Amino acid sequence: MLSYIARRLVIAVPTLILVSVFVFVLQKLLPGDPALVLAGEERDPEVLEFIREKYRLNDPVIYQYFHWMKAMLQGDLGISLRTQQPVATLIADKLPVTIQLAIMAMVIAFAIGIPAGILSAVHKGTAVDYIANFIALSGLSIPNFWLGIMLILLVSVQLGWLPASGYESPFTDPVKSLQTMIMPGFVLGTALAATLMRHTRSAMLGVMKADYIRTARAKGVLENAVIIKHAFRNALLPIVTLSALLFGELLAGAVLTEQIFTIPGFGKLIVDAVFTRDYAVVQGIVMCTAAGFILMNLIADVLYFLLNPRMRSSL
Amino acid sequence: MLNSAPAATAPVLDVRNLALRFKDTPANIVDGISFSVREGETLCIVGESGCGKSVTALALMGLLPRSVARVTSGTAMFGGSDLLTLPQRAMADIRGNTISMIFQEPMTSLNPSYRIGEQIGEVVLRHKRVTRAQARQRALEMLDRVRIPAAASRLDDYPHELSGGMRQRVMIAMALANDPALLIADEPTTALDVTIQAQIVDLIEELQKETGTALIMITHDLGVVAEIADRVSVMYAGHIVEEGPVEAIFDDPQHPYTIGLMSSVPSIGPRSGRLATIGGLVPTIDRMPSGCRFSPRCPFVQADCLKAHAPLSTFGPEHRAACYFAPLETVFAEAAS
Ligand SMILES: Nc1ncnc2c1ncn2[C@@H]1O[C@H](COP(=O)(O)OP(=O)(O)O)[C@@H](O)[C@H]1O
Ligand SMILES: [Mg+2]
Repeated sequence: MLSYIARRLVIAVPTLILVSVFVFVLQKLLPGDPALVLAGEERDPEVLEFIREKYRLNDPVIYQYFHWMKAMLQGDLGISLRTQQPVATLIADKLPVTIQLAIMAMVIAFAIGIPAGILSAVHKGTAVDYIANFIALSGLSIPNFWLGIMLILLVSVQLGWLPASGYESPFTDPVKSLQTMIMPGFVLGTALAATLMRHTRSAMLGVMKADYIRTARAKGVLENAVIIKHAFRNALLPIVTLSALLFGELLAGAVLTEQIFTIPGFGKLIVDAVFTRDYAVVQGIVMCTAAGFILMNLIADVLYFLLNPRMRSSL
Repeated sequence: MLNSAPAATAPVLDVRNLALRFKDTPANIVDGISFSVREGETLCIVGESGCGKSVTALALMGLLPRSVARVTSGTAMFGGSDLLTLPQRAMADIRGNTISMIFQEPMTSLNPSYRIGEQIGEVVLRHKRVTRAQARQRALEMLDRVRIPAAASRLDDYPHELSGGMRQRVMIAMALANDPALLIADEPTTALDVTIQAQIVDLIEELQKETGTALIMITHDLGVVAEIADRVSVMYAGHIVEEGPVEAIFDDPQHPYTIGLMSSVPSIGPRSGRLATIGGLVPTIDRMPSGCRFSPRCPFVQADCLKAHAPLSTFGPEHRAACYFAPLETVFAEAAS
């Protein structure tokens, strides 16, 4: 197991290098001079030159890259051109917000998607199945921003039940924190729930046909236990893998949703950084996201191993 | 004539006039079949693949989903109640408890996610008031009884760590864990290596002797029939065409289909040469012949056979066959004169 993880980590290195090169080159190809952005109203050539010098914008691109890489390996993601804060600090500030939102979305996605998937598989071809599929399709086709705005209008403006925007850390005020997270979590979660539901459904349909399900019934196991203990347990593998990947995507930040609910997460950070040509921040975020994605992939693989006795004993 | 059980014993299971139909099919896939089995007795149901043996067994177990097939007539009396009309919950209380079943596919019949000890223990926990530890103890005992070597160390194995033969032993252990009154084995050896087949048949036979359970063995292997059957029911395309004590079926078959079946087994076959092979194919459900379902392949077919299938008529103690012209010796004698 450990050697497997180690192997996977080694494979992850070239992936990360590739991502870093890609990110760096793309940044350089973007039009616009960061020194100008940084200088603001100032157009004094001397000031601009000073800025270029300070941020090594005059060095050959390859030097800039290696310099950036070297710093990054030491945990230094650079300084934000705009706020003058270390990128690492900015990310460390926003990451918990995004993780919290991602967890909230995942919980909601699981709570809806998995029971709906199981029900529609068990009642395949009946009204239950059609209704679940219809809702799932709606969930997939309704744009997040629209659902978000509608929720704000209904729940916050009309009913006044939940705050329309803002963010509160769960450590300072857990109740308020939950209140601010429910709607954005729901918006993100419903879209994922639809995906999760369809995968759960197809995994369950496959498993329910298996001979060992017939064996379970032949043992007198009651239908609910047949479905959960015998069928769902075996359908879990693809679901868990998918979930880890979906979670990885959530970590990349939900730009629109965060914007609508003015949540100060990754999504907002990246939008602000891109619009202000804050190179260091964009690069830092993309690297972080890529690393997070690779990590979630690894977790998916590890879970796959842990859940699958056949794989486990082959190690 | 009967070697194991006196004829007076009431049957454990008594199936009368069972008919089954798949949704959207024009005819009954199993049509008006009757058989019974007594305590300690082995009934073999034989017939070509596709003749309806498995669906019959599944219907008795309540494992044929209503959405797929329904029982159109018949009763199956077991322990004072009719299995075919019992509510689902009552049926689930019987399954794995007083009636157990083992299947043709040992490789896929065990849940890959659970240890075999757990899977055997589950059926005990489901039906008996025992603790987890007692269920595990029972699982160990059963593994021993199905002669799995080093049973204690096998308890925590996953199915994929066992061979097909071992897995079928586990299935047998599971099926017998609650001392059922009836065991239905649906071609339990068909999917196994020839060398393993005999071991599994021997094991089932021995365990049946030990426990006195009634056994319905579904098979198309006449070698198995010769080894373990007390009585035999021969099925053809959803009908029972002949039934009787094993000796009668082997030594004095009456129905042309049975005769053909016997002659396809060289070593055991009776008076060979009467019917070398059976030409033709088993009819499919959408073109079931009216009358005798064997008539299109029968060398002795007459006009009567196409009108209605013959009722079972008696040829000896408990020996019946459904053919207008049995015993065929009479036909030959008439033809010769
Ligand atoms: N779900 C189904 N729908 C329609 N026909 C079926 C279905 N399952 C099995 N059959 C048909 O029922 C017949 C009997 O099958 P089965 O009982 O499995 O035969 P056996 O066990 O004797 O080989 C076969 O002809 C098969 O094609
Ligand atoms: Mg079969």
